[in-house]
Amino acid sequence: MNFFFYLAAAIALISTIMAISGRNAIHALLNLIISLLAVSVIFYLLDAPFIAALEVIIYAGAIMVLFIFVTMMLNIGTEKKIEKRWLNPRVWIVPSILAALLLVDFILIINGLQIPEPVDETLNTKQVGISLFSTYVLAVEIAGILLMAGVIGAYHLGSQKKKVTHRFLKK
Amino acid sequence: MTIADLYSMMPLIVIAMAPVVMMIVISILRNYEVIYGFSVLAFIVAFASLFFTGSFLPRSIEPLLIVDVYSLFFLGIIIASALLVTILSHDYIGTLGGVKEEYFLTLFTSTLGASLLAVAGHFVIFFLGLELLSVSLYILVAFQRSKDTSVEAGIKYLLLASVSSAFLLFGMALIYTGTGTMQFAGVASLLKGSDAIAGFVSVGFSMMMVGIGFKLALVPFHMWTPDVYQGAPAPVSAYIATVSKGAVMAVLIRFFFDIRGYDSRFFFVVISALAILSMFIGNLLALKQQNIKRLLAYSSIANMGYLLVLLLTGTDKGIQAAVFYLISYFVTTIGAFGVITLLSISREETEKIDDYRGLFWTRPWAALVLTLSMLSLAGIPFTAGFIAKFYLILEGMKAGLMLLIIVMIINSVIGLYYYLRVITSMFTPGDDAGLPAISLNGNMALVLITLGILILGIYPGWLINIITRLVSL
Repeated sequence: MNFFFYLAAAIALISTIMAISGRNAIHALLNLIISLLAVSVIFYLLDAPFIAALEVIIYAGAIMVLFIFVTMMLNIGTEKKIEKRWLNPRVWIVPSILAALLLVDFILIINGLQIPEPVDETLNTKQVGISLFSTYVLAVEIAGILLMAGVIGAYHLGSQKKKVTHRFLKK
Repeated sequence: MTIADLYSMMPLIVIAMAPVVMMIVISILRNYEVIYGFSVLAFIVAFASLFFTGSFLPRSIEPLLIVDVYSLFFLGIIIASALLVTILSHDYIGTLGGVKEEYFLTLFTSTLGASLLAVAGHFVIFFLGLELLSVSLYILVAFQRSKDTSVEAGIKYLLLASVSSAFLLFGMALIYTGTGTMQFAGVASLLKGSDAIAGFVSVGFSMMMVGIGFKLALVPFHMWTPDVYQGAPAPVSAYIATVSKGAVMAVLIRFFFDIRGYDSRFFFVVISALAILSMFIGNLLALKQQNIKRLLAYSSIANMGYLLVLLLTGTDKGIQAAVFYLISYFVTTIGAFGVITLLSISREETEKIDDYRGLFWTRPWAALVLTLSMLSLAGIPFTAGFIAKFYLILEGMKAGLMLLIIVMIINSVIGLYYYLRVITSMFTPGDDAGLPAISLNGNMALVLITLGILILGIYPGWLINIITRLVSL
């Protein structure tokens, strides 16, 4: 059982180190996604499938993909050259291997190898929802205001007088 | 949640509602004066609601908030300071081009964050309040998009504050691992049984101290302070120096006294070291500054060092002295930054000490307020700063913190040098460098601040009476 944990943890460590030491932004982001996926497998092993799913959906899914899109869109240079650089195996080979290992790890975990009995009873989504909207409803409201502040800031700092047209939108 | 709970949260509700209403107003009519007037009104209403709230206290809204007289006092200080900053910002922000009404919206969200810190009784509110405060401050610091220094300061603050928040959050998680609760009271009752803080929990506390130390700009987490103070618009610097630090101090005092940190050797050593380093390095680095905003930044580092001494007293009297110190520090700092704000135009700030040469002969009134603020920061008698320092030293001596008090007195003498340098610069002859005229609005704020500094300095008894009667944990 421990073996699966150590494998996922090792993948998380390796990919995180590569994410912060990588010079290429796309490189780093791909590695970061792997790191987040590995953390989510660890959550699953700890018998917290809801958090694991959130980790994948929110971090690896939404935020990181957004990052990659923005980085790709902002890249300056002729498109052909960039495409060639992205298709270079050096960019994706290590993250792919790590992701494949993670997948094998995950399949082995869900395939019959039983998970150790959790200390407390498993927290299900319903309980999370109920406690968010009863005990912690104030915190949820404050989080809403926090997001509002972020939106106001993005609006203010993003609205420039200087017109900058994206290269795709020119002409 | 009962209706009494809602009543006790009245100030918070007013501050939270204001930006929402303002956004609706903006969508109908985008007018700077209307939004400004509304913000001033909303802050006054929030302040007035404190008196209404008083009859419902103390009340703890399980498990997140604790609204007691102590937090009410801090709410009052925070709201009053935010109101003063709003009034001082009017002319400065008004001269900016483009859309600028968002300034007041963010001022409200950051004040809400600060207020939440004052009532926090749970790590969740602690963290959310701090993040709300920080996110709003990123926007305020970088508000002048067209100015390079402003954007630089914003980016610096964003990166460093995020890292420090991560430290804080990790620390909270470790404490949760060790104790299984995130309520201050719960953590405290679990720690009471054991004498030594060990394992996860001690690492957690250390990491939390990093996050808090960053927000209070204690040495060695102070690197961001001078650059951010210099780059941010002057009223925002005033806001960071007062509201943001005061709110973090409020939650630090509550948490520290809840867990009885002053009894622990570990905390005693850590807090003493932070205090001594902050005092010395803050004051020594201020000596040679040519920029008055940087000078005030280093001065604020040193002042937070002085305040830490009171944490170690571990008595209600210590808290009362801390509250008095914070009030006098707030009035004084807002006074100093207020003069800078009013004498600056948003594109070109009057921030070099040389710019103030001859100010006494050309603008005696502004020079008088700045002189008073500097004297108060230095701790000269008949100003608020003197009484505050006196009170602080008195309580420190009673608690037997001789080493810290001696270091503090040495540093007060070092501080005198650079505060007086600003004053002498104002009295040396020079010509009017085309500084803007101060509006009625600004003059009113300056009169309030001057009265505050003088009244607290000459006749502080009534305030000390109120504080000693009401404030305790």
